[in-house]
Amino acid sequence: MSIRHLSFAAAMAAITAIGAALAAPVQAGPISFNSALTLSSKEFVFRELFVFEDSGDDPSGQDRDRHALSSLSVLGYGVDETLALFAVVPFHYRRLRITTDGERRTRDATGLGDIRLFGKYTAVRRNWTARAFRLSPFAGIELPTGASDENDRFGRLPASVQLGSGSFDPFGGITATYQTLDYQIDAQLSYQANTEANNFEFGDVARADISGQLRLLPRKITGGVPGFLYGVLELNLIHGGKNRDNGAAVGNSGGVTLFVTPGLQYVTRRWILEAVVQLPVIQNLNGTALEKSHVVRAGIRVNF
Amino acid sequence: MSILRIAAVFIALAAFPAIAQADANRYEIGVDGLSCPFCSYGIEKELSAVKGVDTLGVDIKRGVVTVRMKAGASLDEAQARKATKDAGFKMRSFTRLSGK
Repeated sequence: MSIRHLSFAAAMAAITAIGAALAAPVQAGPISFNSALTLSSKEFVFRELFVFEDSGDDPSGQDRDRHALSSLSVLGYGVDETLALFAVVPFHYRRLRITTDGERRTRDATGLGDIRLFGKYTAVRRNWTARAFRLSPFAGIELPTGASDENDRFGRLPASVQLGSGSFDPFGGITATYQTLDYQIDAQLSYQANTEANNFEFGDVARADISGQLRLLPRKITGGVPGFLYGVLELNLIHGGKNRDNGAAVGNSGGVTLFVTPGLQYVTRRWILEAVVQLPVIQNLNGTALEKSHVVRAGIRVNF
Repeated sequence: MSILRIAAVFIALAAFPAIAQADANRYEIGVDGLSCPFCSYGIEKELSAVKGVDTLGVDIKRGVVTVRMKAGASLDEAQARKATKDAGFKMRSFTRLSGK
């Protein structure tokens, strides 16, 4: 094991100790959560992320399987060197297959989801030659722009198929980044407090994420600004509280999931191509809540 | 053939003042915090917006930006420091490369 790999492991352990979720990364860095890196003053970044999600292994006997495809369009703007503002506009296709009264039913919805607006402030900034550290709290709100009361011929769609929550849901957290030319470590803690709408309330979501990116190519930097190919490995620990329906807790909802998330990222001066697959290694879910099979995230970012 | 040589000499002599003038306007800015390709665009954008900047190049390994100014223009250290700060980095050094 080389000194470079040892220092990578040491830095990963160190930043885990420091502790630092939302699907809106906007700089080179983690793919399934946020980065503490901020935009330059008056700089824009646009990101298009596609998320493919499958759930199954239904313990309820209804043979449920859920499939979701989302596109997340993210626009970020650097107000100055410390404050950046972001908007995340999702578009969803959600489908649930379920066996009810001996009949196989397909229930689905397509359309705009809940738009997220948030700001990130760089509270701590340290710069060294070819190294940087940032610590940034962030806060925002998820707006009820997605339809939350959709029906089909079987009646009202279940909450897991609705395109939005119908509620104003604030969220916040803190994210930290340590970056060198050889590797980058990001960590994040976040919490989303979901509120009630249509007599239904999704459980609050708490997340802890950590991401390591190791430069694979070029093996040696000789000058200029070459494109970097990073190997990415992330851990995403997500705790979902129980949903509430008409004020009563829904037993078959919420729980804890831990994803191991490997991937690749190619970074240039102006654009980034990236893809990861989130593999659930621990799913301690309540009751008959549906387990995730895997989540694939792939996208592109462009700055201007 | 000799006509071609004479023409080449004339072209070189004509170009010499422009080259000398351009060399007199080159600066090297040491930038701390530059540590990935995507981040380098920010400093390029900020410095490109400074009046009189002609071309610039980033050496990410050394953490250095080389700026060439247009003929007759010069780069002020305070301007370079502000551009570096606005990009989220720290200016480590500021050197005029030639033409002192």
